[in-house]
Parts: sequence; structure tokens; C-alpha cells
Amino acid sequence: MPGAVPPYRRVQRHRPLWMLAPGAVLTILVVVVPLVVALHISLLDLDQYSFRQWVRAPFVGLANYTEAVRASGTVHAIVLSTSYAAIVTVVTLPIGVAAALATQDRFRGRGLVRSIFLVPYVLPAFVVGTVWRIILQPDGVANGLLARLGLDGGLWLNGPRSFWALVVVQIWASWPLLYLLALAGLQAVDPVLHEAAALDGAGWWTKLRYVIFPHLRGPVSLAVIIAFLHNINNFTLPFVLFGVPSPRDVEVLPVLTYVESFQNFRFGLSAAMAVLSLVLIAVPLAAYLRAVRLDVGPDGAAEGSRP
Amino acid sequence: MTVRESAPTRGAAGPAPRPGGRGTATSGRGTVTRLLPAPLRVLVLGVLLVVVLAPVLYMLFASVSSDLSVAEGAFLPTSLDLGNYLRIWSTVELGRGLVNSLLVAGAVAAVCAFVALGSAYVLVRYAFRGRLAILRGLLALQSIPGTLMLLPVFVLFASAAQLLGVPVIGTRWALFVTYLTFALPFSTWVMVTYLRGLPPELDEAARVDGASAWQVLTRVILPLSWPGLVVAGIFALLLGWNDVLFASVLTNPDSRTAAVALQVFGATQEGGAIPVYGQMMAAALVCAAPVVVLYLVFQRYLISGLTAGGVK
Repeated sequence: MPGAVPPYRRVQRHRPLWMLAPGAVLTILVVVVPLVVALHISLLDLDQYSFRQWVRAPFVGLANYTEAVRASGTVHAIVLSTSYAAIVTVVTLPIGVAAALATQDRFRGRGLVRSIFLVPYVLPAFVVGTVWRIILQPDGVANGLLARLGLDGGLWLNGPRSFWALVVVQIWASWPLLYLLALAGLQAVDPVLHEAAALDGAGWWTKLRYVIFPHLRGPVSLAVIIAFLHNINNFTLPFVLFGVPSPRDVEVLPVLTYVESFQNFRFGLSAAMAVLSLVLIAVPLAAYLRAVRLDVGPDGAAEGSRP
Repeated sequence: MTVRESAPTRGAAGPAPRPGGRGTATSGRGTVTRLLPAPLRVLVLGVLLVVVLAPVLYMLFASVSSDLSVAEGAFLPTSLDLGNYLRIWSTVELGRGLVNSLLVAGAVAAVCAFVALGSAYVLVRYAFRGRLAILRGLLALQSIPGTLMLLPVFVLFASAAQLLGVPVIGTRWALFVTYLTFALPFSTWVMVTYLRGLPPELDEAARVDGASAWQVLTRVILPLSWPGLVVAGIFALLLGWNDVLFASVLTNPDSRTAAVALQVFGATQEGGAIPVYGQMMAAALVCAAPVVVLYLVFQRYLISGLTAGGVK
């Protein structure tokens, strides 16, 4: 690593590393220690009776994990979480890219449109959940509009359709993230490429397909990973939209973990589920950390990541 | 308005010329950089605007409508009853919730921004072993599921209360410490990208003149960092303002934040005759308004923060 450090950084004494201390102390106390505690609790038979003396709760080894995988709804929740996050990400991708393409061209009112596009993303998730809960109630405005089109709305907040309600609302709330990241990627495309494409007489689709999209691949694939991580960790939206206990079809892993802790007081089991949720995000997280540009020297050269 | 205008906070990408910007050779630029044919563009924009605005407008409409018309699924308001905006202060206990949210999230924002500045300064300007690991950790920490942390944090706070003999859970301090910690990685990352955009010669010169690191930070870096600090602070504020997970467990009715107050109010409406939809919408709007206003005011800075983790 020293080889990558720009010269002005090399001769430094008195590095004020203590400035990192407040963040380090907080992170150790509120993140690292709790993580260790979570691992420990996941090996205990901890419930509301043993809670006050949690250190002395009986040690049960991996029993919580086997119960989580075999008996409780964990596997169901993992499948649900993964498919919901994947569907939302796959659907928001083309929407976000299309919106970025459409707002990159200059036109009157573009600033206003860009502001409006970010509103769903800026609204707090608990507000989005509250609003859509009212929109999707059985006689609500969504079914009212569907009925006018001659469609039978039915139940959205209960039963098998609740899964799709969650997917639709999360798509509505989260597509601006992909839009933003795609727009940032689009604005980094060298204008010379536009001119080259124009000189070649390329049509708009040819230009998109062979000139623009290849340049978007990097930023957009990173955006896809970020969006997937956002979606799969989302607790607030399903929690507020459906309440607890939630319908089985939307019992995603964060909600199930929460219910197992703070409704059923099966703390050991819940901790095991929480640890499993870490396994769930491990692959996309590793991909993200590999792909993102970690560090940039003042000369613009990247350090610590693949070029 | 464009993302690119906030280039100083995005040190990773060079300042690409803005397509169609004012200049000499711009007459042809507008058409050359055009990406979509006009009809297609209008179609995409039109559909998206309707999809985005319909629920937002409905929120406004329903907050002034009668609960009955909301329950029957009318889109347009049947009446103009602003009473909901008065009733929510007693029914939802929104006042107390907003005060709690403001106190906690505001304190988190202020402290977080400055702690992040110090950390980011060291990370950007100094070389030391483990620097890349910390940068990587800043990104990884943002992806840790909150539900993983909730139970152990709760357990530790309960144990701390037992040890110290003072209540921890149910106090605003518990929320403050939790939000501060979880807001720090992203705010630090925002400050790292911001400080990378400041020329190193500035603090270099001060250091040559014999200034200590603390003096450089407070007298040279800090005055130049306000745009970055505002972004870092706002994101920390939003984390506290928007959180339901930790607040639902770590608060009692007195220290409840607005988010939990609204969620609890919504949940208690279940099973009644006709839920007070209008009040729920009005309360949701009041909770969302500060966030949306903040975003509109600081939009051009915030966008750089929103994309800060997505630089490749």
C-alpha cells in the first residue's frame, strides 16, 4: 500500500489518528460488541424468563439454527425476501434507466421533473407504508380505479396477493435510486461519443445499444447490487404496510426476526435468524465491496480496487 | 439542478462537460446528445409522472376528505375539511412525537457531521495501515441489516441499565447513541468524497506554517466543508427521522418518535368501524413535510450524497 500513496503523504509524523477515536469507540460499542453478543445469544436458549440474567441462559449449541431452518418459517422467509428483493430490483432497473435517459435530454421543465422523480425515494418509508395501506384497503382507491376498468381488485393486504402489493409499493418507492445512479453514470459519458455516433449516422436505438449502454454497465451493475441490498434489508415498509403479525405471504426475514424477538420473545431463535440474514447478504455485499471504487488519490488514480 | 453541478463532492469522476451547456459550439450539441426520440421521451416522462404523482396527490386529497369517502375509494376529495390537521395533535400525539424526533435526529445530525469530518479528514489526508480496511468497513456497515443489531443492542442497553442503575431503554439518549453510530459510516463516506474534492495544497500550506492537525481541521478544513457537513448532517437526520425499527423497541410512550407514533396510531385503527383515514393521511403528510422541504432546499447537494456509495 505505501507504494500507492502519493508523495506528499509519505513524510508524515504526528498523524492525528485520535480523530478516528469517537467513531471507533461508538462502532465498537454499538456494532462490534452487539454483533458478538448476537452470535452468542444465537447459541443460547433465551426467552423472556431467562432474559434478565441472559448471560446465564442455557447453552444449546446450534439448536436454534436447526430449529430456524427446520421448524420455523425461516426458509420460507429467506425465499420470500430473496425473490421479493430480486423482483423489485429487476423491475426497477429498466424504469430507472429509462427515466435517466429521458431526463438527460434537455427540455423545458426538466428541473421540476427531476425533483418530482425523487419524491417517492425521499418520502420516509413509514409514510409510504401508511399511505399505501390506505390506498390498498379492500374498498380503497386502488380497487375503486380497478373496478372502473372492469377489474376485480380483491384483497391486497392479506392472502397471496399481499406479496405483490409489497413488490409494487417497494418498486414505487425505490426506483428513483436506480434512476439517480444511472443518471450519474450517464452524465459521465464523454460527449465526444455522442458526436462520433452522430457522425456515423447511428439511429437512437443503435446509439443506445452500442455506445451508451456499454458505458452504463459499470455504474448500473453497482446500482443493482446496492438496490438489492436496500430491498432485502427493508424492514419498515412491510412492517408498516401489513403490521404484525403479518400475513404469511409477506413475512420477509427482517419482519420474522423482529416478531420472533419482540412478539414471541424467542430471543435465541431470533438471533439465529438474524445471523442467517447476514449470510443472505454476504454474497451481494462482497460483490459490492469488490466493485466499488474505494479510494481515489488526488491525481485521480484509483487505489485499492480493480482499475 | 443537474447531478454534475455538485462535482466537488464527487471527487471520483472528473468534471465532465455538461451536455448542451452554454458555450460556443452548443448550437448542434442539443440534438447530437439527444438520447431518446421526442415522442418516446414524452411517453416515459408522462407515465412516470402519473405513477409518482397519483399517490402523492391522493395523500393530499384524502387528508382533507371525509373518512367515509376514503373508505369508499373516491380519488378526488369530496370535501375540504382541514380539521384533520388540527385533530392529529391530540389523537396521534404527533406534537410530542415530532419534538422527540426533532431533538434526537437534530442532535444526531449535528454531532454526526462533525465526528464524520474528523474521521474523513484523517482518512483522506493521511496514510496509515488499515486505511483501506476502514474505508471498506464504512461501506459494509451500511449494509448490515438493522434487525441483526436490534436484539443485541436492546440486550446491551438493558444490561447497561442494570449495571449503572439508571434507565437506558425508553430514553432519548438510547436512540441518540444508536442513530449516531448507524449514521456515522454513511456520513463519513460523504465527507470522504467531499474532502477529496478540496485541494490538498490548502492544508499542506497551513501545516508547513506549523499548524497542528487540529488547527488545520478547525481553521482550514472546517470553514471550507459546510456544504459537505450539511449533506452528512441531513443524511444522519433522515436516518433518525425515518427509523421505525429501533424506535419501536427503544422508546416508551413519552419518548416515542413521530414515526412510531404514526405507526402505533395506524395499527390501533384496525378493527374499528371506519378508521380515521383522513387523520392518518394528515399525520403522514406532516411527518413527511420536513423531509421533503429539506430535500427540496438542499437537493443539489443531497443528490451527490445519494450517489456517493455508487461510484465506480
